[in-house]
Amino acid sequence: MTTSLTLATAPVVRRWRPRPGAAVGALMLGTVLLLTAIVPLLPGFDPMGQDLRAALRPPFADPAHPLGTDALGRDLLSRLALASAVTLGMTVVIVIMNAVLGSLIGILAGYYGGRLEALITLVSNVTLAMPVVLLLIAICAVLRPSAGLTILVLGCTWWVGYARVTRNIAAALRRQDFVVSPLTQGGDSVWVLTRHIVPNVWPHTLIIAATDVATIVLITSSLEYLGLGVQPPVPSWGSMIFDGQRHLAGDPWLALLPGLVMLLAVGGVQFLSQQFTAETRGGLLRKGGMR
Amino acid sequence: MSTVLRIENLRIETDGDTPRTLVDGVSLQVDRGESLGVVGESGSGKSLTVLAALGLLPVGTRVTGGRIVIDDRVLVDVEADVWAGERELRALRGRTAAMVFQDPMSSLDPLRAVGAQVASAVRVHAPRLSRRAARERAIDLLTSVGVRDAAERAATRPHQWSGGMRQRAMIAMAIAHDPLLLIADEPTTALDVTVQAQVMDLLAEVRDRTGSALVLITHDLGLVAENSDRLTVMHHGRVVETGATRAVLAAPAEDYTRRLMAAMPAEQERATPAVRTGEADALVAENIVVDYRVSGRKTPVRAVDGVSVRIAAGETVAVVGESGCGKSSLAKAVLGIQPAAAGTVVVGGVPVRSELAARTAAERELAQIVFQDPYSALDPRLTVHELVAEPLRIRRAYNRATVGTLLADVGLDESYAKRLPGQLSGGQRQRVGIARALALRPRLLVLDEPVSALDVSIQAQVLTLLDTLQREHGLGYLFISHDLGVVRSIADRVIVMQHGRVVEEAPTAQIFSDPQHPFTRQLLAAVPRLDGPRRTARPAAA
Repeated sequence: MTTSLTLATAPVVRRWRPRPGAAVGALMLGTVLLLTAIVPLLPGFDPMGQDLRAALRPPFADPAHPLGTDALGRDLLSRLALASAVTLGMTVVIVIMNAVLGSLIGILAGYYGGRLEALITLVSNVTLAMPVVLLLIAICAVLRPSAGLTILVLGCTWWVGYARVTRNIAAALRRQDFVVSPLTQGGDSVWVLTRHIVPNVWPHTLIIAATDVATIVLITSSLEYLGLGVQPPVPSWGSMIFDGQRHLAGDPWLALLPGLVMLLAVGGVQFLSQQFTAETRGGLLRKGGMR
Repeated sequence: MSTVLRIENLRIETDGDTPRTLVDGVSLQVDRGESLGVVGESGSGKSLTVLAALGLLPVGTRVTGGRIVIDDRVLVDVEADVWAGERELRALRGRTAAMVFQDPMSSLDPLRAVGAQVASAVRVHAPRLSRRAARERAIDLLTSVGVRDAAERAATRPHQWSGGMRQRAMIAMAIAHDPLLLIADEPTTALDVTVQAQVMDLLAEVRDRTGSALVLITHDLGLVAENSDRLTVMHHGRVVETGATRAVLAAPAEDYTRRLMAAMPAEQERATPAVRTGEADALVAENIVVDYRVSGRKTPVRAVDGVSVRIAAGETVAVVGESGCGKSSLAKAVLGIQPAAAGTVVVGGVPVRSELAARTAAERELAQIVFQDPYSALDPRLTVHELVAEPLRIRRAYNRATVGTLLADVGLDESYAKRLPGQLSGGQRQRVGIARALALRPRLLVLDEPVSALDVSIQAQVLTLLDTLQREHGLGYLFISHDLGVVRSIADRVIVMQHGRVVEEAPTAQIFSDPQHPFTRQLLAAVPRLDGPRRTARPAAA
């Protein structure tokens, strides 16, 4: 009988048509990336050096400190650049850890099914029920808070979304004839997983990762704001906002500037990821249409 | 006699800067109580034409020329710039014209009771009707389309309904408001022949009862011959030929119509068998039993119950039967994909274990499979070259030239090597699947409905290819099919299965000329034929 379910597998990447939102997103994120890349090359780059005589300079007032200085007289532009590199770097590491871990777990659960899948579902549900921030606070109460610890905890607790999606795709792929075919020719599960399952699953992982970046930036920043994560004197967006808010009345830019950079980064990533998902969604929907 | 649907000079194009013309200058007309068959291969525009009539064109396509009139209402007139609004179209759909889709599996919502779905179809155009009354009407409708114990069955969900019963439910929904026009788009393609016959009987009976007109869209000339008064043949978006069904089929005026008819599987057995003597049998399977565990049940379901098959080198043995008869499970057991619970399998003279995982790579080489669905059989990311190279790479025997030879063997030249499956037609995909199956030089090829997803002309090409390859390599074919026409033209012997058992086994000629078992006779009688009995008498002029 010809009743067949055509699986929308790997999103078909077709002609890339930029959307206006994507251009805005690229501009926003590009500004932040440029900041992190160029500023350290400038002659006055010094994110740590204190100069109490030059404390709380407003932006655009002192050519030596284009964006002004904080309460300890540290150059705000330099600190913003370093903070951006730190926060974005942490985010990327966390997202990659989760994407790899989650997809791996999901693929194994979907492909093998049975008891392994039941176990993985149980672990996912427990993980999902765990309040990550409270967990981190609890761990920091015992161990000393550090960037590494934040990365480790967030990097191992945010994978359930990846696992859920990839599990379903892998389970559907497993029933496809092109996955059965290599088995009948002498191939083993490793062959099938590496040649057919992973390559057809990872574009989906990429889509989730793209939308996850913004979430992780916000979570790490909130943690930094609470003092969990990178420790002073190394700056991060969250800790800079925390430091700045004491001076909100007199020198609001101290909190507003890191907030603005964060806005540019998160907004930029969101706009860009929408282009990404829209593009691939078109590919997914196109299948099974007329003709 | 009043005209229910009139399409004049319809043109449909794709959107975009460089529109492609999909349907061009198509005109057709259906009168009250008449049945019009629209025949063509995939891509001929036959579905688009009728979808346009209901304002249901898929996104990305639009009407750019012509007129559409249903029941004296002008829905579209491009020259006069008349375009029916969505409201007008909605009022029309289901009430004046209703549609029965191809796939009864995906046309029903799996989460709602079938009766409730029929009731919503009733209420769409009768919002004042109480829920209770709508439900009663739904049960009446289901009873009228031959659903037994409709009151009880209405409360069950689609997965508890068979394909044929679901199609009955779809028809019940379509006739809820006694439409003047019923459009059936490949209504029986997904069904067994015996069920197909029942559904077509029902459509004819509905037409007699309500006096509605029927547009039957299909690729099956036999079906049209038995079920339509007039016939329109379409090709590449144009009408090739139109006229009274009998007259057109008796004396087709156009070349394309003749080619379509010629491509239908010949009603004769193949002339020269390719059986080779002196070589090891391609397959000796004895007393195969296949059980499926069903969650919530202690005893497993027995899909295959002690079936034995013997296939000589170069011989084609067809296994036919309705869906669920165990023919696919038998094939899977031979390959080891679904391990047999009992029985022995010997492929090319080598006894193999029942479980695929327990077979050595060399044992697995002996039996290869060509899948039914050319869409799910090929990894969409791999090029044709890589797809055919895969089995060779698995066995570390990859060689560029070998892949080229394999592709040439199935009639695909170098230019196809770099293409992706998405850039191939169904027939070309199936050729790639055959090349891949041949890569490891198997002794037995399991062909699981290899041509059922293809157009007739492509079917004929693929069958010819299979015949050539068999003679060349002395392959044994285990040919799984529900299409008796195809079976007749390719098989040396036929095994008829019902409820997991063999009910009849005989040489092809004997099965077709002198069937012994009642079930075999029933199967044969249900196959639509060009010269088959007419299902409907033309109703008296109104």
